[in-house]
Amino acid sequence: MHYVIPPRDERTQPARIVPGYPQTPWRNPREPLIRRAPTLSELTGPLEVAQRVKLLGGDIAGRGDQQAIGQLIHLKLRVTDEDGAPVGGAVVEVWQANGAGRYIHPNDDDHAPVDKHFYGAARVLTDESGSFELRTVKPGAYPVPTKDGWWRPPHVHFSLFGKVWLQRLVTQMYFPGEPLNAQDRILNAVPDAQARERLIARLRPPAGDPYDALVFEHDIVLRGRRATPAQP
Amino acid sequence: MIPTGEATVGPFFPPRYVDAGANDLTRFEGHAAQGEAIEISGSVRQEDGAALENLVVEIWQADAKGVYRHPADPRHREADANFLGWGRAATDKEGGYRFRTVLPGAPAGRARHVNFMLMFSGLMRILKTTMFFEGGKANDADPVLAAVPAARRKLLVARQEAPGKYRFELKLRGEHETPFFDD
Repeated sequence: MHYVIPPRDERTQPARIVPGYPQTPWRNPREPLIRRAPTLSELTGPLEVAQRVKLLGGDIAGRGDQQAIGQLIHLKLRVTDEDGAPVGGAVVEVWQANGAGRYIHPNDDDHAPVDKHFYGAARVLTDESGSFELRTVKPGAYPVPTKDGWWRPPHVHFSLFGKVWLQRLVTQMYFPGEPLNAQDRILNAVPDAQARERLIARLRPPAGDPYDALVFEHDIVLRGRRATPAQP
Repeated sequence: MIPTGEATVGPFFPPRYVDAGANDLTRFEGHAAQGEAIEISGSVRQEDGAALENLVVEIWQADAKGVYRHPADPRHREADANFLGWGRAATDKEGGYRFRTVLPGAPAGRARHVNFMLMFSGLMRILKTTMFFEGGKANDADPVLAAVPAARRKLLVARQEAPGKYRFELKLRGEHETPFFDD
């Protein structure tokens, strides 16, 4: 399958330098980024990452007396390309804070408690329909150490490997109805309101299955359209 | 459909995602890749020169014969079965990263090169660039290098420090800023 990668619609992607996010002015290029015509090198990419890295499974909430503390949630995600075609067999890396808003990471010295039953990382493969599921707890909000009152709303991080190098995506998913969403500097770095809305998961009306978890659905669209063969 | 908005990896990318050995491309599933084993190392710095720790670097390259392990490459059936072409490293306290890989062959129409991707807290989008090799025969004719303003091209050419050892410094902003691509 061959892909073409159309230019981005800048309004649907975040600004690189974000007011109130103090690291961004030091780390993002000053020079204009350089346009290049993609060659085979950018329109190929690793398809067997799962044979190089360790998959971790998608059930990270734990069970029984090993269960993490927090609101049990079930995430149903679907990964497609710009044509809506499912991206199957893709490695997806997931990480998130625990129910109290604390990451298991040496950089997180926040006051919030560690949950010894929650590490907060899943690494899974999408199935043929581009779908994967995650059983986890809803992450808590947490303050960013900027001293001016920036709290990250509950969110889940995703890193995805598509079929070609230029499809690689790192993104974050948010939860509907969270009051902190409207003030979050990372979510609101995306200028287009509809593009921001697409970063927010949808709560599926509870229907009893699974009976113990709220179900959220979310779609992730990777760049790239399947190339149509040139007509004679 | 419209591609999902990117976001920073933030400061809490799990260390366990930088799997042991993920920065060594010279072996795949226990077997040695073909070609000349080389080392590519460097450091990553921000505008004030501060070294950036815990930044994720990924690379993608052709095998020693210049073939990509991907069906879009018409020669992919010739690809080295023992070479994946992808690797990941995280920078240390000095901002340093290191890969062991094989010297890529020159793919059709290109000079030999290695694609780089950088992910970090404060990078709202993945930064992408391409490394070329000092003395690379086809560098002057490479279409990607040619897209870079002439005065900045040398910033994409890794210096050969010793036989098989290449140094590629990455500066995210400011003086000697690495050219990055808007793909």
